Amino acid sequence: MVQGPMEPSLRSQANTTEATIEVNVNVANFSTFERKKRTRTEKRIVELKATLEKTFEQSVMCNLYPRTVIQVDIHVLAQDGGLLAGMTNAMTLALIDAGIAMYDYVSSVSAGLHDQTPLLDLNSLEENDMSAITIGVVGKSEKLALLMLEDKMPLDQLESVLAIAIAGSHRIQDLMDTELRRQGNIRASKMTQS
Amino acid sequence: MNVSDVISITRPTPATIDSDVDMSDDESTQVKLSIVTPGEMVTDDPVWMKGHGTYFLEDKTYSSVAGNISRVNRLLSVIPLKGRYQPETGDHIIGRITEVGNKRWKVDIGCKQDAILMLGSVNLPGGVLRRKSESDELQMRNFLKEGDLLNAEVQTIFNNGIASLHTRSLKYGKLRNGIFLRVPSNLIVKSKNHSYDLPGNVSVILGINGYIWLSKTTNSSHNKNMTVNSNANKINASGDPSYVPGAGSVAITRLEEESSWEIYSDKNDPNITNSVRSNITRYNNVIKALAYGDLGITEQRIIMGYEASMAFSNVGSMIDKDAMESICQDVINNEKMRG
Amino acid sequence: MILSPAERSYLYDSLIQKPTIRPDSRAEHQMRPLEAKTSFLPGSNGSARIRLMDGSECIVSVKAKVVVAAKEANLIECDVDVVGFRDNSNFVSNLKFNLTNLLQQNFPSDYLRLTSKYSFKLFIDCIVISHSSYPLTLISLTSYLALKTTKLPLLVSETNDEEIAELPTFSDDWDNAKPIADYFKGKGKEFQPPIFITLGYVGSNLIFDPSVEEEQVLENGLIVTFYNNKVITPIANMNLAVNSNNSNFKGLNQTAIIKSIQMGNKFGGAIIRALDALIEQDDDNDAIF
Repeated sequence: MVQGPMEPSLRSQANTTEATIEVNVNVANFSTFERKKRTRTEKRIVELKATLEKTFEQSVMCNLYPRTVIQVDIHVLAQDGGLLAGMTNAMTLALIDAGIAMYDYVSSVSAGLHDQTPLLDLNSLEENDMSAITIGVVGKSEKLALLMLEDKMPLDQLESVLAIAIAGSHRIQDLMDTELRRQGNIRASKMTQS
Repeated sequence: MNVSDVISITRPTPATIDSDVDMSDDESTQVKLSIVTPGEMVTDDPVWMKGHGTYFLEDKTYSSVAGNISRVNRLLSVIPLKGRYQPETGDHIIGRITEVGNKRWKVDIGCKQDAILMLGSVNLPGGVLRRKSESDELQMRNFLKEGDLLNAEVQTIFNNGIASLHTRSLKYGKLRNGIFLRVPSNLIVKSKNHSYDLPGNVSVILGINGYIWLSKTTNSSHNKNMTVNSNANKINASGDPSYVPGAGSVAITRLEEESSWEIYSDKNDPNITNSVRSNITRYNNVIKALAYGDLGITEQRIIMGYEASMAFSNVGSMIDKDAMESICQDVINNEKMRG
Repeated sequence: MILSPAERSYLYDSLIQKPTIRPDSRAEHQMRPLEAKTSFLPGSNGSARIRLMDGSECIVSVKAKVVVAAKEANLIECDVDVVGFRDNSNFVSNLKFNLTNLLQQNFPSDYLRLTSKYSFKLFIDCIVISHSSYPLTLISLTSYLALKTTKLPLLVSETNDEEIAELPTFSDDWDNAKPIADYFKGKGKEFQPPIFITLGYVGSNLIFDPSVEEEQVLENGLIVTFYNNKVITPIANMNLAVNSNNSNFKGLNQTAIIKSIQMGNKFGGAIIRALDALIEQDDDNDAIF
């Protein structure tokens, strides 16, 4: 859920030249197979939040919204791997839906390396089992807005993993674009009617 | 007893393109239907000037929002499908005071930043044209305080995007005798006039920012003066007798002074009949139904919706999804018939 | 939310009319229309989501876990999470206490007993994604739907396992899972979770499910519990308008309580019937949004 751009609740938060992006991540207790109580100050969640904020600071045209805060609340209701990737994609769509100006889509996917074969979009079992990387690609370029590697990966294999991940992200972007256009056209057709 | 009298629960319906709309529409609308999405190249021709919703990179113009392209002369901009209200000079809007500050009020007008209403941009008691004195500054809360609703006009937009408002006209000022509702601002169609008298003794102000005020129609100007006078006495009695209008200025007439106080009164007209009250709620539901159907809101449509709503003897049933859809359908059909 | 004094007095004057005139012209016993969806979370035993026209939204998940019955004090655990409020704030703990208390007292948890040693424990998690008026009714209606559609797997091992060391085993086929209601029916009882209804009291009128604007001018607020086709305790009163200085607020006349019970008895059944009707027509193939 995107709120804003809006007045900051605290004066001190305001940045006179550009907007502040604030992300709240809420991972539901019941999202994983085993129910587990999570607090918002858990290290992993704080890190995810910081990563997302950094990623989107670059892609959103923050300079257009001085003295405002863009607040994004993310609720994870169910998860089975690719948590960060899913959140990034959802946030991209939500920001576009809110009419906030962005340079381009940020599409994201996770990839891992099993033995010698790179694998795309791991589920949580696979994620636990092998080293995984999450990337976020800006538009159709090969520029990365986000790269998250939580454990080791052999350097000579990295390139093949990145290649498959970038290709995967481009595919995700196409899917998001198609859906956005479909929704947009529904709205636009209603507008022309009226 | 009927369950639907108490509650209506429906399943969410996924949005789909109306099939019959697609069939009947000719090619010209098909072109209009195409939208652009962020990062999409709009044109690689450098003659276009870049407007809102676009950015410029290596001689190419890209879109930064999802929306429709608009071309005005050489200015190319993309209008987002959804988004916050963007104020423009001259817009007639409705706002709610959020903060009383130093010689200014902050007003929520549903845009990305609160607008500013300077003490110098309002009519103060004691004559329209007079200097603002220190005593005015000290009692700003007596004029307008947090939570108060007013209608105003956008005077200018500052460089940083903040709007400055003014209420220097008799049609602007504090709102009374009615209820407030809000709809998405893109549904309000800009026109010359934004306040209308509707059948059923109800007036509406359609703020361009999507804030709407429905109230009882006030009587003609002659009668108004009469009620103003009596009400003003009441205020003076109950409210703030110690007030001495700005020390340096002389009020032209007693009447003018009092009538000016009246514009900041919080008292409603004591004679609002139940039928007016129910008409207001009926209009409230009609406007909500129009907004639900994503229909642009105009005076005509509200009146047509009101007529269509007469089919519902029980106005309360109008808030159900089906009822709102049927009202929208009625309005569309009605428009088609009139061409 | 702050209303201007003029709005406030107009609204108050409208609400105290006989019959009352509400801003959306609802009848005094009419709830706001809802949009609801059940069983959409694949990882939960039961789930439901309710959305109001004004954008208020609540999601409830029910998860069951097998526990050793003797070790657990309560077989039901509730958690409420409201966006924008800290978990330990008064507002959230009040909601949580109300819900937990209601379910623990009025939920025949003996029926969750699996075997002589083990039992199901239900974890009910509510997330209020956005709300304008006091969200207790919203939460309780959503948890009603979630509980009603909760499915528990079929037990295949022996019920008497006093001497057996292993955990109970369940059928692998999810199609064999039974809704919680069937568990209860098997033990000779209709399963119907209790719900809360919020009422506003203003000028001798009682209004159901007050909206956020109405809450601002109420003279008092009542929370009525409805279970097994009648109003039961707890019945509580509170100021529904949170964080506002409601100058109309005053004490409660005892006739109002009696009237609220009467109205609850009269109209509560209709709410339950509407919820049940939705569950029946809800199928799994719809989009969740």
